[in-house]
Amino acid sequence: MSVEWTPDHGAAAERTRFAWRRTALSAAVVGLLAARPAFHPDAGVVQWITAALSSLGWSFLVAIAYRRARALRQHPPHPGRRTIPAYALITVALAVLASLVVML
Amino acid sequence: MTKSACCGCTYSTKKVNNSHVLAGLRQWIDPEKTPTVGRTPDYRFSLANERTFLAWIRTGLALIAGGLGVAQFLPPLPIAHLREIMAIVLLVLGGLVALRAVDHWARTERAMRLGQELPGSKFPAVLAVTVALGAVAMIVAVVVQAVE
Repeated sequence: MSVEWTPDHGAAAERTRFAWRRTALSAAVVGLLAARPAFHPDAGVVQWITAALSSLGWSFLVAIAYRRARALRQHPPHPGRRTIPAYALITVALAVLASLVVML
Repeated sequence: MTKSACCGCTYSTKKVNNSHVLAGLRQWIDPEKTPTVGRTPDYRFSLANERTFLAWIRTGLALIAGGLGVAQFLPPLPIAHLREIMAIVLLVLGGLVALRAVDHWARTERAMRLGQELPGSKFPAVLAVTVALGAVAMIVAVVVQAVE
């Protein structure tokens, strides 16, 4: 594949890859905090369900970030497309879930 | 689709088949489906846009984590439900930041394709003022508690 492309002297792809990694790590904080009430001694079914859902959201965020970081290894890297709205929407879903965790 | 090199950058030009692109929701849920306008920008610009999006997402995640932290680690406050209200405000702010991040990403992507001025935004200023007001409220609360 000899597509002409600009050399990546600014390490744009690498920096973007690390940005995805950092974001996945930030997601871990939210995932763990949202799941925390389930470990309380008198946690009920509601806490278990919200913990399961938040862990699911967290694993999605980690999986998407990992996939995208891998995809950025190819030359020239393709810009993100559907990954980005998906990531934002899962984050919003986590915010909604966290509100439920706070209110219940 | 033709390839052309210009000032050291490779562009692929696409025929503009529809100048009226549905703005908003559809654009960021499925940017491939909406008619791709203009020319594909240098991938480095797209990646920079992506990193800006990610920085905003991290800001949003930090606000969400802050909301959860307030709800879980703050002792019950003298005013009823104040702790929960503070948590919800932070969580809503986090969700808003995430939504605005994807919207701004889509609009920037489009502007780059069309070679237009990048979209400006009042959102960072609004967020900064909101956070500053929250901090001032916290300072007042701490001082009042210390005096009593």
